[in-house]
Amino acid sequence: MIFADGITLLCNDIQVDPQDIVMLVLSWHMKAGTMCEFSKKEFTEGLQSLGIDSLDKFREKIPSMRSELKDEQKFREIYNFAFGWAKEKGQKSLALDTAIGMWQLLFAEKQWPLVDHWCQFLQARHNKAISRDTWSQLLEFAKTVSSNLSDYDAEGAWPYLIDEFVDYLKENGVNQHGQINDSSLN
Amino acid sequence: MERKTIDLDQGWAHMQSGIAKLKRILEGLQEPQFSSEEYMMMYTTIYNLCTQKPPSDYSQQLYDKYYGCFDEYIRTKVLSAVRDKHDEFMLRELVQRWSNHKVFVRWLSRFFHYLDRYYVPRASVPSLNAVGLSAFRDLAYTEVRANARKAVIDLIYKEREGEQIDRSLLKNVLDIFVAIGMGEIVQYEEDFEVQMLEDTTSYYKSKATIWIESDSCPDYMIKAEDCLKRERERVSHYLHASTEQKLVETVQHELLVNRANQLLEKEHSGCRALLRDDKVDDLSRMYRLYHKIPKGLDPVANLFKQHITDEGTALVQLAEESASNQKTTSGSGSQDHVLVRKFIELHDKYMTYVNNCFMNHTLFHKALKDAFEVFCNKTVAGSSSAELLSSFCDNILKKGGSEKMSDEAIEDTLEKVVKLLAYISDKDLFAEFYRKKLGRRLLFDRSGNDDHEKCILTRLKQQCGGQFTSKMEGMVVDLTLARDNQLKFQEYLNENSYVNPGIDLTVTVLTTGFWPSYKSGDLNLPSEMVKCVEVFKGFYETMTKHRKLTWIYSLGSCNIIGKFNPKTIELIVSTYQAAALLLFNNADKLSYSEIMTQLNLNNEDLVRLLHSLSCAKYKILLKEPNTKTISPKDSFEFNSKFTDKMRRIKIPLPPVDERKKVIEDVYQDRRYAIDAAIVRIMKSRKVLGHQQLVSECVEQLGRMFKPDIKAIKKRIEDLISRDYLERDQDNPNTFKYLA
Repeated sequence: MIFADGITLLCNDIQVDPQDIVMLVLSWHMKAGTMCEFSKKEFTEGLQSLGIDSLDKFREKIPSMRSELKDEQKFREIYNFAFGWAKEKGQKSLALDTAIGMWQLLFAEKQWPLVDHWCQFLQARHNKAISRDTWSQLLEFAKTVSSNLSDYDAEGAWPYLIDEFVDYLKENGVNQHGQINDSSLN
Repeated sequence: MERKTIDLDQGWAHMQSGIAKLKRILEGLQEPQFSSEEYMMMYTTIYNLCTQKPPSDYSQQLYDKYYGCFDEYIRTKVLSAVRDKHDEFMLRELVQRWSNHKVFVRWLSRFFHYLDRYYVPRASVPSLNAVGLSAFRDLAYTEVRANARKAVIDLIYKEREGEQIDRSLLKNVLDIFVAIGMGEIVQYEEDFEVQMLEDTTSYYKSKATIWIESDSCPDYMIKAEDCLKRERERVSHYLHASTEQKLVETVQHELLVNRANQLLEKEHSGCRALLRDDKVDDLSRMYRLYHKIPKGLDPVANLFKQHITDEGTALVQLAEESASNQKTTSGSGSQDHVLVRKFIELHDKYMTYVNNCFMNHTLFHKALKDAFEVFCNKTVAGSSSAELLSSFCDNILKKGGSEKMSDEAIEDTLEKVVKLLAYISDKDLFAEFYRKKLGRRLLFDRSGNDDHEKCILTRLKQQCGGQFTSKMEGMVVDLTLARDNQLKFQEYLNENSYVNPGIDLTVTVLTTGFWPSYKSGDLNLPSEMVKCVEVFKGFYETMTKHRKLTWIYSLGSCNIIGKFNPKTIELIVSTYQAAALLLFNNADKLSYSEIMTQLNLNNEDLVRLLHSLSCAKYKILLKEPNTKTISPKDSFEFNSKFTDKMRRIKIPLPPVDERKKVIEDVYQDRRYAIDAAIVRIMKSRKVLGHQQLVSECVEQLGRMFKPDIKAIKKRIEDLISRDYLERDQDNPNTFKYLA
């Protein structure tokens, strides 16, 4: 098993920051079960599937792994993978703080203007763990609903938490550019 | 013998004289009728001229000349005669000329009949009769029809304004229009009906404009009804039957449809005013008038609904106001009963309207239902209507309730209450409140009459289904069984006198599932009672071995003898109160905390308990300090000086307010019900869209309560996380059942 220390060493070798999102992509390729851990099987089979057998090759592969995030389909898979990977073993839901961290990371790549409001909202109003369904539906929400919420279907099958988020945004006057003036957040 | 060929001109000359004679007859001149020889000669001439060998077969020429006769006659005589006159006189002339023409055609076609037999079919040309008619149509009718139409319409106007007119004349004129169509009604419609209907439209439009301002709604309606009646008469007297529907629709449109809003919403005499003033006849008329118009009853039903809604809402507001004025807990009880009574009265009143004025029409049933659903679900002074109804029932069913009614009146009222229940969306809440109160009535022997209890359960079952009442019925059955059980227990005690605890004990065994949940506290029983419990347990084990008994002391009651100095008094108290009092057999004075420790009760129960014994009407215990409320620093002493004129008194222990618990329980049950419904639906459909799932859920659960959409969503998400359902990969708005 490789744990956090081993991973730090690895990151050093391939010259990547451990917090870099490409580590997530790598974990995805390895089908890693939990973050900050690689089993021998996961590690070796993952490297095999990537065609990496040396550190140089590893370093060369980094940019292409990074670019995989730009692919819609792959991003979705990685995003959904991230849920199971980031949560505690044996838990059904993802702790809020971890979820927020992951979202910040992922949406830095994918540019969703409402990500900060989403995180603020969760901390202010929800304060509980995130279910898998909410996690995966959030991506759909970010992709299909415009940031001024004009095309949001309240009768749709969005998870309860997302409905609440929309109400929260409307209460606090989201304008065209997704800017918000929520006095309760001061 | 060879027949001699007749020359056309020769033959025609013969005909001319006959035709001239005919014309003289038509003109009304003195002229004897045709003799049979004359007739035969005419006929035979034609016959001969047609049966000669070509080129002397003059059929075609004769056919043309036949037409020519009409042509000539109409042009020279008929047209001018008609044009010469005006109005009614013109119409009379026209009728006369038409009548003449028919005679002309009849006779002439007889003369020329042979053409009809062979030439007409062979040459595929119109029959002689048809030719005759079309001659009138093309040469006379088309010239005069506009004027005739105008004259007729003018007369109709006069009749509408009240003048007497010659109806048979009009009938005759319009018969021409009809007959001219030669089997098709189109001519009549185009040449007369269209214009007449337009004229009718503007006539009634202007009448409506005047009447709507000047007349009250009832008066206007009477006029409208009258107009419709007259127009129908008009049709039967002289218009063609096919006009009736169009005419009636036109009048309805101008008088009733276009003016519906203005009419029905008239300030002091419109629909709502009529309802207010109980004007049954006028409302019946309104129904009759608007019934035949498609969607005509919609505005009426709407106003009906609004009216009822407003009246009901006003009742609710009144109740709210008097409840906040009173501000005493006991006062609000009777207010609730007043409100329910008023609801019942309101319902009866407007149902009568539905049945009588509105002829049981579904639209009005629905209006009544919708209206009641609006205000029957409002909360009054913190109590939901479900609660109000259940305490209303409780009041009627319990002994010493505030209403004294005959058996019949009770049954009638209970029936009406159950009907009101249909309008309440939180039926499950009603069921739970009802069950709690039923429990009280049954256990504390407060039920007035078993038959009434059974009666209302039957009605509830009919209306809401067996599942609604199954638990309640179980409760009633339990009581019956408990009585039997008690007899067996007595026998057991008699047979096993050594176990007799020395105290009269009655135990009621309840089936847990049927009864509301009661908390079973761990009261420390006085030793006498402990023995009783053991004895009963022994007995019960002889009956069945596999049941667990949980004792609910909070529901028990006890008769204890209080040996007061002045005199001995029997006290009827609850088990808790008895346990507290018996402590004073072993101690003169006890502090609050000592009592608490010894009884093992919580603060809330203890305070209530001690209050009832020391601060209420009968002060069995003396409290130090002698304040009105219980505090943990108080201490208590047996009041040996207590006395009362009665030898037996009941010391009530006021019950805890159950409302919050009931609501909590019901909301909890709803979550399970929603879960069950979702799983049931998905199991049978396998794949279903979100919208459909929600609406089916609402429909299925609607019998008991109105599920909140948000609640359903939450349950769906919960079921997803419990792996009962999943979202479809490609369409996140659809769910799939996971086996």
